[in-house]
Formats: sequence, structure tokens, C-alpha cells
Amino acid sequence: MEAGLERTFLACALVSIASVALMTVFIFRQGLPLFAKVSLPDFLLSIDWFPSRDPNPGYGILSFIVGSVFVTVMSLAISVPVGISTGIFLAEMAGRRFGPFLRAAVELLAGIPSVIYGLFGIAVIVPLVRMIPGGNGYSALSSSIVLAIMVLPTIINMTEVSVRSVPNELREGSLALGATRWQTISGVLVPAARSGIVTGVVLGMGRALGETMAVLLVGGNAPIMPAGPLSMVRTLTMNVITDMAYAEGTHLTALFATAIVLFVFILALNVFIQVALKRAVKESTR
Amino acid sequence: MKKNLMLAATLVCGCALLAAETYTFGGSTTVQPIANVAIEKFTASKPNVRISYEGVGSGTGLKQLSEGTLTLAGSSRDLKKSELDAGLVPVAIASDALTVVVNKDVRVANLTKDQLAGIYSGTIVNWNEVGGKDEKIEVVNRDETSGTFGAFKELVLDPKKLAFTKNAIVAKENGEVAAKVASTPGAIGYVGLGFVEEITKAGGKALAIGGIDPSVKTTLDGSYPLSRKLYMVTKGPAKAGSVEKSFIDYVLSARGRVIVKEAGFIPLK
Repeated sequence: MEAGLERTFLACALVSIASVALMTVFIFRQGLPLFAKVSLPDFLLSIDWFPSRDPNPGYGILSFIVGSVFVTVMSLAISVPVGISTGIFLAEMAGRRFGPFLRAAVELLAGIPSVIYGLFGIAVIVPLVRMIPGGNGYSALSSSIVLAIMVLPTIINMTEVSVRSVPNELREGSLALGATRWQTISGVLVPAARSGIVTGVVLGMGRALGETMAVLLVGGNAPIMPAGPLSMVRTLTMNVITDMAYAEGTHLTALFATAIVLFVFILALNVFIQVALKRAVKESTR
Repeated sequence: MKKNLMLAATLVCGCALLAAETYTFGGSTTVQPIANVAIEKFTASKPNVRISYEGVGSGTGLKQLSEGTLTLAGSSRDLKKSELDAGLVPVAIASDALTVVVNKDVRVANLTKDQLAGIYSGTIVNWNEVGGKDEKIEVVNRDETSGTFGAFKELVLDPKKLAFTKNAIVAKENGEVAAKVASTPGAIGYVGLGFVEEITKAGGKALAIGGIDPSVKTTLDGSYPLSRKLYMVTKGPAKAGSVEKSFIDYVLSARGRVIVKEAGFIPLK
């Protein structure tokens, strides 16, 4: 019985490993043949994306790499200050009444499907951006705002949990030394919780980078290099999904190659999280 | 015994394979959705006939037809004189029309084909250049693998040797074009004729092109400038009793017209 259970659990664990391995092999097998036809610099460093042009199709994805990074960074610029502040508020200041209410709202935010965020973006964010800063509303800024709302729960939860797990002696010691509440938070709690907070930010970054549906609906999807926050934008994920339905031949291979680039980005982020977490564990046991 | 059975089975299968007649059709990717469904229904009652349709584009398809690689080609454009001279015979099977739609705040009701080409290639960027008020034109385009994108390119830009502007919102579906044109001031987009209602319901309006309103009637009589006919082409007139002939007849039949309509095109009367 015991041995049987162990084997069953092991088999289940192997399913996820196998899925990751299969996915990696599949994406690379479908995407790598591109480089027999298009050179790596022409793919990564060119802004000329026009696979259906005949002759001389263009397969440059630099605009989309820049678009992805631009939108992700801008969304973090909004969500990091708001998220960390909310997390600290929840851990340290929210009372017994308001705390659970706020927490439930944040959890609800985390459970909303991304297409709903996209529709909300079209209905509310896009007209607002069109009205206040200008442009046609479908922009990098609109995408960043929608993404910022989407990654907030991740940052808030991670911040709250790690601030909460700071040992109480540190908190009390700081207050006993005469530090104000603000000094305790900024000088003791946040530094002590920083690895957890960083992990939350990086997780949020991963979500922003990989999000597809919401940005597709509000980004404008023009295959151009974004010239500023009000410029239309196409990210790596948008590029994969836009033409996937009917693409064939080299065009289809180029979409898989775009997915490889995205995959490498996400992989790098995950490695970064692992390293950061290991360092955090070392720090806390010292 | 088991071995014998398998041997017999192999022989039967082999005979069936030998007896099957294989045909290769191909050509226009616009015609492909019609051809694929029609082939499936057409061969359902003919177990010995196998047909495939290769979506290689109208030009390549017609070339391969005259070379004999294909026995029937789909074409989404009229045949050139050289192709007709080479003995290719087109049979019209459907009509296709694109409707240009704009946001309700646009004061323009009519555009010429040249103005449309200017807008979509990025040389005309303000509505006041085409008789409207001073407002930036927000161009909405389709994803470049869609047949609608290809049709617009062939009908509007290709004759002037122009390329699409990249500064355009790209929408994945006719419905997304409808939503974005209806909600964005100054927006212009294009959809297949079958989707006009969706746009007008969402608050947009359809434009006349060269003074002609888009409709099934103006499309069928050819007066609407953004209309075209889809063809099935054979080398020499299709012989009576041949699979090609009966396939074309099937596409033109009442059942074929339903397939044409479901694929988003206009059946011929």
C-alpha cells in the first residue's frame, strides 16, 4: 500500500516534468528551422516584420521584443509602488474589519480571466487614455495600465506574506528603540522582507511578459516600433497569436521562433527567481 | 490462418488504393474554404475519388494548371490575356465584396478607390484631405494571413503598386474590426459584405466607393468597385463526365451555393 502510493505520486510528479520537456522540444523543433532561411540577426535585430510580402518577406521581431519589455517595465512602474504599499498596509495597518475585506478584493482580482481585463480595457482604459493624454487610445500605456492591475495581486500577496513573516522581535525591538512606525517599516520590515518582495515583483514581471489576451485587445497590435507610451504596440505574445490561425510555411515557423524568444525570456526570469530565493533562504538562516 | 487473413486484407486494401482515382486541385487561398468543404461533401458519396486542394495562391495555381500539375485551379482574380490564350477556361463560382466602414463621427459618405488606397498606404492621414472635418484617420487593418486582408490588397493597393501602412490597428476578426471602428473616433476599417450588419448595429456606417453603395445587387452586376469574382479554372473546357466537370457543377448547384454562402461569399444567381 505505502509503496504503491509512493509510486503513484511519483508518476504524477513525472507528468509535469514530461510536459515541460515535451513543450520545450516541441517549440524548438517547430521554431528552429527558421534559421535555415532567416539569419539570427535578421530575426532578432530587424524591425521589418511582413511575412506575407511577396517577394522578400520580412521576419524581424525587434519591435515586438522592445514592445514586450517596454510594456512590462511600464506596468511594473505602476504596479510595484501600489502593490508594495498595499501589501505593507495589509500586513501592518489594516484593522480586523477592513483587512479581510481588502484581502478578499485582491483575491477576486487575481481570479478574473484575462479576457475580462481586456474588455474592461477597451471599454474604460482605452477611452480614458484617448481623452486625457491623447492618441487613439490603443497604446502601450493602455496595455501597461491593464497589465498593472493584473499583476497587482501577485505583488500584494508576496509583500504581505513576507512582511508578516518578519519575526516580531525585530518589529518590537525597533519600536522599543524609539523608532516611529514609518521608520520601523522603511528601516526594518521592508529590508528584512526584501527577498520575498523581489520574488513577488519578478513573478509579476513573468505574468506581464506572458499575458496575451488582455494586451491584444488594448495594445493596437500594429507591427511597429513603439515610439512612446501613446504609440501602438505589438508584444511577442500578440505576434504569435495574431497570425497563428492561418499562417503556413516559413511564416508559421517564424511564429514558433517568436515563441522560443518568449520562452527564453520567461526561463531567464525563473532562473533569477530561483537564485533570489536561494539567497533569501541563506540570509534568513544566518 | 491469421496470416492468411492479413494477407487477404492487405490485398483488398491494395486493390482499393489502386482503384482510387486521385486528383490534385489547387490555387487561390480565398477559394480554399469553399473548395475544401465542397471536396469533402462531393467525395462523400464517391469512395473511389480522392481530391486534394493545395492553397498555393491564384498565380501559382494557374501556372501549375497550364503545366499539368493541377487539373483544376481556384482563382480569386480575373484571368490575364496570356492565361486565356494558353487555353485556360474560367467558370465563375462566387462573388466577393469588401465593405469599407467608418466610425459614426466621420462626415464622409463616399470615397474613391484612389482615396482609399491613399488612406491605407498612409499618404492620406486626415479626413479633411478627403472632404471631411479636421480629424486624424485611425486605420484599422486585418491580420495579414486573412483572406479579407489579401482581397483588400489585391483590389485596392496592388493595382497602384502600394503597400499597407504599418501605422494601423490590427484586428484579428471581422467582429474585432466592427468593435474597434465603432468605438474609435475617426476610424476606418473593411469587412466582408456579410459583416456589414454587425458594424451598423455597433454604431458604424458603410461607405459608398466611387458613388456606388455596397450591396449584393451592385456586387453581382460588378458595378461596386471592391467586388470580384471567384473562379474555378480548367485547361480547355471541362469534359462532360469528368470529375472536374461534375465538381464545378456541384459547386454551382443549390448545395454548392449553401457552401459558398457559409464561407462568407455571395453565391451567383
